[in-house]
Formats: sequence, structure tokens, C-alpha cells
Amino acid sequence: MRLTDHLEAGLGLNVFTRAQVEALHQATLTILEKTGVEIYEEEALALLKAAGAKVEGMRARIPAHLIEQALASAPSRIDIFSRQGEPAMCLEDAKIYFGTGSDTPFTNDLKSGKRRLALKEDTARAARVADALVHIDFVMSLGLSSDVLSETSDLHQFEAMLLNTGKPLIFTAHSRENMSDILEMAALAAGGPHALREKPFIILYAEPSSPLRHTREAVEKLLLAAEKRVPVIYTPAVIIGATGPVTLAGSLAVANSELLSGLVIHQLKAKGAPIIYGGGVPTMDMSTGTCTYGSPELHLCGSALAAMSRYYCLPIFGTAGCTDAMVFDQQAAFEAGYNLLMSALSGVNLIHDVGFMGSGSISSLELLVAADEGIGLVRRVVQGIDVSPETLAVDVIDKVGPGGNFITQRHTATHMRREMWFPKLFNRSNYDGWESIGAPTLGEKARAMAIDILASYTPRQLDANVKAGIAAVITAREKNWLHNGD
Amino acid sequence: MFIFSDLSRAVIDGDTEQVKSLTQEAIETGISPQEILDKGLLSGMDEVGKLFQAQEMFIPELMISAEALNAGLDMIKPLFAEESKSNKKKVVIGTVQGDVHDIGKSLVSLMLGSKGFQVNDLGIDVSPADFVSAAKASGAQCVAMSAMLTTTMPVMKKTIDALLENGLRDKVAVIVGGAPVTREFAERIGADGYAPDYLTAVETVEKLLSNFDE
Repeated sequence: MRLTDHLEAGLGLNVFTRAQVEALHQATLTILEKTGVEIYEEEALALLKAAGAKVEGMRARIPAHLIEQALASAPSRIDIFSRQGEPAMCLEDAKIYFGTGSDTPFTNDLKSGKRRLALKEDTARAARVADALVHIDFVMSLGLSSDVLSETSDLHQFEAMLLNTGKPLIFTAHSRENMSDILEMAALAAGGPHALREKPFIILYAEPSSPLRHTREAVEKLLLAAEKRVPVIYTPAVIIGATGPVTLAGSLAVANSELLSGLVIHQLKAKGAPIIYGGGVPTMDMSTGTCTYGSPELHLCGSALAAMSRYYCLPIFGTAGCTDAMVFDQQAAFEAGYNLLMSALSGVNLIHDVGFMGSGSISSLELLVAADEGIGLVRRVVQGIDVSPETLAVDVIDKVGPGGNFITQRHTATHMRREMWFPKLFNRSNYDGWESIGAPTLGEKARAMAIDILASYTPRQLDANVKAGIAAVITAREKNWLHNGD
Repeated sequence: MFIFSDLSRAVIDGDTEQVKSLTQEAIETGISPQEILDKGLLSGMDEVGKLFQAQEMFIPELMISAEALNAGLDMIKPLFAEESKSNKKKVVIGTVQGDVHDIGKSLVSLMLGSKGFQVNDLGIDVSPADFVSAAKASGAQCVAMSAMLTTTMPVMKKTIDALLENGLRDKVAVIVGGAPVTREFAERIGADGYAPDYLTAVETVEKLLSNFDE
């Protein structure tokens, strides 16, 4: 992708002026210095205190120079690899990559079309489908496994992903201990801790607790990620009107305060360790109280955070390909379509939650497959228009002349694949052609494609001994938990 | 030894010069025109059809291949015996009067040619009288009309009427097509066939003319 060039040329979405970016930054510095944040973890508090922050109990007030230092030491580019160690994603500038979301309690069953609790097998199936899809670049656990021990569901989900896709993984972990287990499992798959560190294929997803609170679990994972140099997304979810002010700028200030205080803790632990900026700032629906995934405010704030990330020179994580609809219907397609385009035009590096519906409660393979098609379209849009002597085609125009046609010109055959996007699922047939194949809707085609992938596609397999080693990590943790369990 | 697959490949690649030189080579080697046609040219075009259906090749490449194929066909046509030539089914094709759109029509024309029909392409802006005289002169079994504008669609009906007035209507099958044309419209004006796209157009002409075998 050459999106940076294009952004300079004007194809992009810039929701903020430079002055607005700086106003938000200044407001954040004021909040962190005056109000501060609560941190429920002693090592982080000690690190901050030693660096010059004002620490009283669990409250830490952080001066601006610590923020500036952390921004200066955090890398502006992070390279992510596949499970096999091949280059997969280069997180910098406005390069865009798409992936699934994590931990939905429910899934819409492909066979029955009904919502049901998600199982470990659903994470495996979603990972397999994502592995087969051209435009899905990374994978998160699309489903919270309800059929395994809840204390180790994160490990089971990680195993299900490891075994079913070679694409980079973004994982959640219940605790520091479980995260250590996950790092062990990932090292087995990568061929050792050294290989994992040199060519990371995993990214931790951890969340502070809005507003302005860093929980013990979140900070422990953040510190472990810094120590082990595992790339981390420390992503606030500030709910506009609930855990943040109803004004978008105010909620963004809360989110940015959480982000930058997390960044300071992380960089104090390990200067230069990889950390990714970004998060979700959705509205609380004022009628139903739900946290929205299709609202324009969420995606405007996503674009705003992308603007901030550019200002800070940090890679950026965001949200799209998701909807508040309950099934893959017209609302789902409409919402996922517009938010995919917005996030891509904003140059969000890691765009997650593709396949999320029901306000983040339900996963849908139909939506995932249809969104893959939509992402193809969106990627064509952000590719922009190539202008050169070859593409201006003055010679060809002269050769064809008035009244001729360009279909049989070599120039057409040579350039069409780069110039045009070719849909796989969206209808381009005329009425008769469409009718002759059974007049399918997009939802029906997406469902058929998901079923077909599950029936026919086999991802690259790990060696049997590696698989056994991964399973043994879970068994050991579960034994340990059952013996010491309370 | 002549390698037929090279000739097929040249058709698939749409390499007209290569098709010409390989066809010439085959003729000079003494290979029968039927073999050149079946094992070289048409087997290449069959592959193009398959790749097109699989969405690996697209319309411009299909047309470029058809052009290359026709260059080869032109070279072997004179080698077929006189009688088999006169048995070839003839199609008169054109865009109706007042309409200058020719891409869809030319595509159908090219594809019919590649299927072995003798195609008399009258071009664009063809009057009912011109259709009639061309059909009469060539003894065509099929008249194919295209219209891209709702305003020129009525000319299709006028052309059918002209064929009737000149005693030709029962001697030719009439097929119509073009973006605004529908099956209902085709039936209403008394056409024998309608096709929504060029692939269907070729199939429809083949089907209609199989009744003209005697």
C-alpha cells in the first residue's frame, strides 16, 4: 500500500485540524497532572514515583515531561510476522490491516441461523475461515468459549487460534499467569522464545477500566508485555455519556489520558518496547443503554484517535466491520460498510472487530465473509487514482479515436486488474443472470461461502509434537488450578 | 512435428501474430483444416471460455482471444470444401437505426464467428431496409439486432415488420438484445429469441438455428 502518499494527496479522512489535535493533547496533559489516574498495581506506582510523578495512595498525577519522554522512546513502527515467521504486517504510517474481534459470548449458528452460546470450536472455525479470507490480515478469538473451564478459556481460545491459522494473533488473557502460559504456547508454535521475540506474531490486547483507572490485572499484563517485548494494545473503551463526558472531545480526553498514562507505565518498565495506540470510544445508546458498535460517534472518535496517533507517531488500533444488528441484515451491511471505509480512510493500522454484531455480543461468520468482500472494495478506494503517462493513455486514446472502443486494446487487458476491483460476492449480473443462479441475496452467498470454506479449507498445520506441547500447557494450568483452586 | 497446444496457447494469449504464423505452419505441414480448427484454434477458445467462467479471464481478454482466433479462421476457411462452406449457417447482425452503440453487438458478432457461424456484421445505425437486403443477399438464417437506447428499441419492431413485408420472416430467426431490452419486449414484438448477455446470445442463436438443419 502507498496510502501515505495518497493521504498527502488528499485521499483520506482528517477529522481534526492541527489546532484541535493540540487542544486535545493539552487537555490530556492537564487531566493527567491535575486529576491523575488510579493504579491498582504497586510496581507501576513505584516506577511512576521514582520517575517524578506525584503518587498518593493509588492515585498518580503525571507531569507532562514524563509523557513527552514516553512518546519519544516508544517506537513509531512495529513489524508483525506470521506464525511461521514470515513478514505479515508493518504497523506504521497509514498502512491498513483488518482482523476479527474477540470474546463474543454468543455466535449466530451458520446452520440454524439462531443465536447460541459460543464454543471453543467456534473460535477454531472462525480462525479457519479468517485464514482462508484474502483481506483478513490478523485474527482474534471470535467467540468466548463457554464449554471449557472459565478460568482457562483464554488459553483454550488461544490454542484454537494457533491450530487453525498462521496469521498474526491478537489475544486476551485473564491474568498475568495465563498470559505467561500463552507466551509459552506461542513460543512453541514459533520455534522458541527467541524466535517469538525476534519475529513476534502475537499482540496482547489489554484494557484499562474507564474512567481513569488501571486495574491490577491490566497493569500486570502491560508490564509483562513490556518486559518480554511482546507488542501490546492498551486500549481504553470509554463509553460516551457513561464512562466519559457526553461530548465527544471530552470522552476522547478521558481515553487519551488512559492511553498516555498506560504508555508512560509501559515505557518506564522497558524503554523502546513496542506499544500500539488506539481504542474504542462508543456511545451508550440513550434509549436502551447498550454500548454501540455502529454509531457514527464511535467511528468519528476512531478517526480522531487515528489523527492523534499520527501526531504522536505511534501505530494505531481501531474498530470496524461491526454492527448493532442482530443478524446479517441490511443494517449490518450498511453499518459495517460505512465504518470499514471510514477506518481505512483514517489510516488505522489494525482494524479489528470484523464479524461483530449485536453490540459486541454476537459473532457472525456471514458478516465476516461479506466484510472480506467489502474490505476488497475499500482497499480499492484507498488505493486512489494512479496518474502517469501510461495511465493517462494519450497514445491509446489517439489510436482508438472518436467512436471506437477500448475493450480490445492491449492497454485494457494489461491494466484492468490493477485499475479495477473484481467482486466475488457482490452482484454484477443483469436480472436474468442473477435469477438463473437462484436470485441469491448477499447474506445467502456469504453463508454459502462460509460453509464451503469450513468444508474444504485446511490451514497450514503445526507439527504433532508442537500441538501436544501446547495442549500440555493448558493441562498443567488446569491441574494447578484444580489443586490450589478455591 | 506440429504442436497443437502452442496454437491453442496463442489463442488463449490473444497473440494474433503467433496464431497466424502457427496456422500457416500447420497448413504447410499438411495438417487438415478440420484438425487445425478442432485441436488448435477451437480447443484454445474452449479454454478461454472456461477461464472466463472461472473469472480468471475477463471481457477484454475474451475479445482479444476471439480476434486472434478469427485471424486463424480466416486462413483456414478457404481450405474447406465448397459444399461445407455453403452449409455454414449465416447470421446478419447489426445495431438498429438511430443507435451507434456497437460494443455488445461486436462482442456477439466475434463470438458467433468463433463458433463457426458466417457472420455478416452490418455495423451500427442499420436501417430496416439494410437488414432486409443483407438477409436476402446472403440467404441468412438469422437476423440479430442490438439496441442500447429505449428510444431505438421500436426500430427492432419496424425491422421485423420489414422482414415480414419482404417475405423473409419465415426464413429467418430473429434474435434481439441490448441493455434496455427485456424478454417481455422481445416476445411482444414477435422476436424468436432474446438474450440478456452475449454468452446467452451465442447459445440462443445455436439453439434457434438447430431447427434450420434441413
